[in-house]
Amino acid sequence: MLSNIGNSILFLSVLLCFSIIYYSFQNLKTNKDSITKIIFQLCVLQSTFIIISFLTLIAGFLISDFSLIAVYQNSHTLKPALYKIAGTWGNHEGSLLLWVLILTLFSFFFLILNKNHSKNYRIYTLIFQNILILGFLFFLLFNSNPFSVISPEPKEGLGLNPILQDPALAIHPPLLYIGFVGSSIYFSAAIASMLSNYSGKLFAKSIKNWVLVSWSFQTIGILTGSIWAYYELGWGGFWFWDPVENASLLPWFVMTALFHSLIVLEKRNLLYFWVIILCILTFILSVTGTFLIRSGILNSVHTFANDPSRGIFILIFLSLMIFTSVFVLFKKLKINSYNVNFYSKETFVLINNWFMIFYLITVMLGTVYPIFTEVLNDSKVSVGPPFYNTVIIPVVIFFLFFMSIGPKVRWIKDNLKNLNVILGILFFSILINFLIFYLFKSYSLISNFIIISSFFLIFSSLIDFVEHFKNHSIKNYSRIISHMSFGLLVLFIGLNHNFSLEKDLNLKLGEKITFEGYSLKFEKLYLKEFKNYKAIIGEFEVNNLKDNFNLSLYPQIRIYENPNTLTYEASIKTGILKDYYLTMSNIDRSDYYNVKFQKKPFMIWIWISVILISLGGFLRLFKNEKKNY
Amino acid sequence: MKLKIIIIFFLLQLNTINAKVLVADPNIIFKNLRCLICQGQSVADSNSEFAQTLKLVVKDKIREGKSEKEIYEFLIDKYGEWIVYKPPFNKVNSLLWILPYFALLIGGLIIMALVKKRSNR
Repeated sequence: MLSNIGNSILFLSVLLCFSIIYYSFQNLKTNKDSITKIIFQLCVLQSTFIIISFLTLIAGFLISDFSLIAVYQNSHTLKPALYKIAGTWGNHEGSLLLWVLILTLFSFFFLILNKNHSKNYRIYTLIFQNILILGFLFFLLFNSNPFSVISPEPKEGLGLNPILQDPALAIHPPLLYIGFVGSSIYFSAAIASMLSNYSGKLFAKSIKNWVLVSWSFQTIGILTGSIWAYYELGWGGFWFWDPVENASLLPWFVMTALFHSLIVLEKRNLLYFWVIILCILTFILSVTGTFLIRSGILNSVHTFANDPSRGIFILIFLSLMIFTSVFVLFKKLKINSYNVNFYSKETFVLINNWFMIFYLITVMLGTVYPIFTEVLNDSKVSVGPPFYNTVIIPVVIFFLFFMSIGPKVRWIKDNLKNLNVILGILFFSILINFLIFYLFKSYSLISNFIIISSFFLIFSSLIDFVEHFKNHSIKNYSRIISHMSFGLLVLFIGLNHNFSLEKDLNLKLGEKITFEGYSLKFEKLYLKEFKNYKAIIGEFEVNNLKDNFNLSLYPQIRIYENPNTLTYEASIKTGILKDYYLTMSNIDRSDYYNVKFQKKPFMIWIWISVILISLGGFLRLFKNEKKNY
Repeated sequence: MKLKIIIIFFLLQLNTINAKVLVADPNIIFKNLRCLICQGQSVADSNSEFAQTLKLVVKDKIREGKSEKEIYEFLIDKYGEWIVYKPPFNKVNSLLWILPYFALLIGGLIIMALVKKRSNR
């Protein structure tokens, strides 16, 4: 039953897409300044239908309607309701429906929120956005239909992958999707802008909030994934340079470059075509990431059961997108003469873009390089954390210095006048680094530079903040918060990296071991039954010998039955200054357990820094709202 | 004056070069090795039997006095380049290591060109 409802609604949505495109072209032919009512009505209808189809799928999961293959394969009657609902997007088909939902909602809101922009520009945007929606609807209907039925109806579902049975599944994918599916709207707008000759400042004004929205959500989405990986995967790290993580980071780099360039376009009417290229690139990278993961070309912890036919569909679609956008771009491209002074804000925005593109190329190359060596040279290489750290970290040092100085430089032309302040901040940063280095623990030269440069950025932003506060100007708080938090992020990552303690031990029940100022005792081991799993729980007592500080940690080995899987749950004690992190796993044919003890300083501050970075984005959004509408 | 103090501090920073660890740290090596039978996990992060064995091998090699680099070379000989997360610099991997910096250089030149145009006029 639900299958019929879902399929008919999706089919109707396809018809709606066609009619929206048809009426839009009709509207373009008339000379009227306004968009006809029928288009608005169709768009309302379209959004409603897609929302209903999404709710239908959620209902399918909630009532465990196993006649739907997607439900049968990814749910189970014994699952808690939250995981039934979140399971809707915990699989390929459902997540694709979420993808279409976000495409449609962005299309609708862009149409109704941009009333004071040119009609043709809005109509063209609508047309291209609907072509995208249509493409993904076809993909849904012909290849990855979440409403496909299975008969006879199975009695019980196969269950959701235990790693996904986590509250984070409810928020991580939707947040991330708002980020990179949201970027579709400025992809469409960029092409529309070229076709309708609606360029320059007005174009920048019309998309800047959309870029900010997607960037802020992308940031938070990446963060939630990172936190999830930290406590779920039991590795104790928060970033693994896994292909999927990279796929979410690539659009983030371009978005960041984009909204910095947008400021130049809005204020100085420069860089129009560069902005267009970045708009197009963001969404193309989002789709490329999806293609690489869903087709199974790149393997990672995120791999759904994959299927090459999906890959081919996305690849065709991607090629069409690239071909169209490049074609329009070359037809319209004009090389303008630029008017940029060496020491001006424009130059620093260009420098931001320069570094972002460098990060982009490095991460992209690292992600796809193994594919090429395998195909061309038949050699398998792994590109992992040590590669990225070696290539990127030295460059970050310079990036942080530019990021500190850039925002204070004026538009058009400025002189280097506050050299004394800069030297003062530098002096102070070196001093603090020096104190940390000699008082606590020595670390490598490159870490020294990282910590100095991040302090430099933090202090510069703080001084900026105080000056703004004195002048009662609220103009740049959002930027100051984001920049300062980026400094904090790099600082805490640096400290975390250098002051982490990691011990890999094999312990028997009752055994006690002492190392580097800590002692660890394996106290107890017991079995406990939970609603959807059984758990072997170990009780460990950690003793900090210096402060005589005690704490108990309870890592688990979980045994899930549907589907039959073993997972290892870390036990984490989060604190203001440091996290204690303990995992335990059984060793075959032995009484010993492999126990990994980790002390991770400032973990919580890494999360807080990223939250503040995206908070800057949201604040800017509210400020723009107040000013423009 | 300030500049001089900064220079002195920088010289003090040079001490840090000597702070390098002389004995290879097994935990760092484990992180840089791929667990060949897992999906996207390093040896340090994996609970598999393969990872446990490899950890013992690495510890033995350190005991034998092998350097970090020698251990990687030994493992690459045995299992292929797939096992290390930092691809060695050779003919096949040269593009991977050079292209990012090449892009950085080109980007810098483009910005220089854009900015210079103005000062010539």
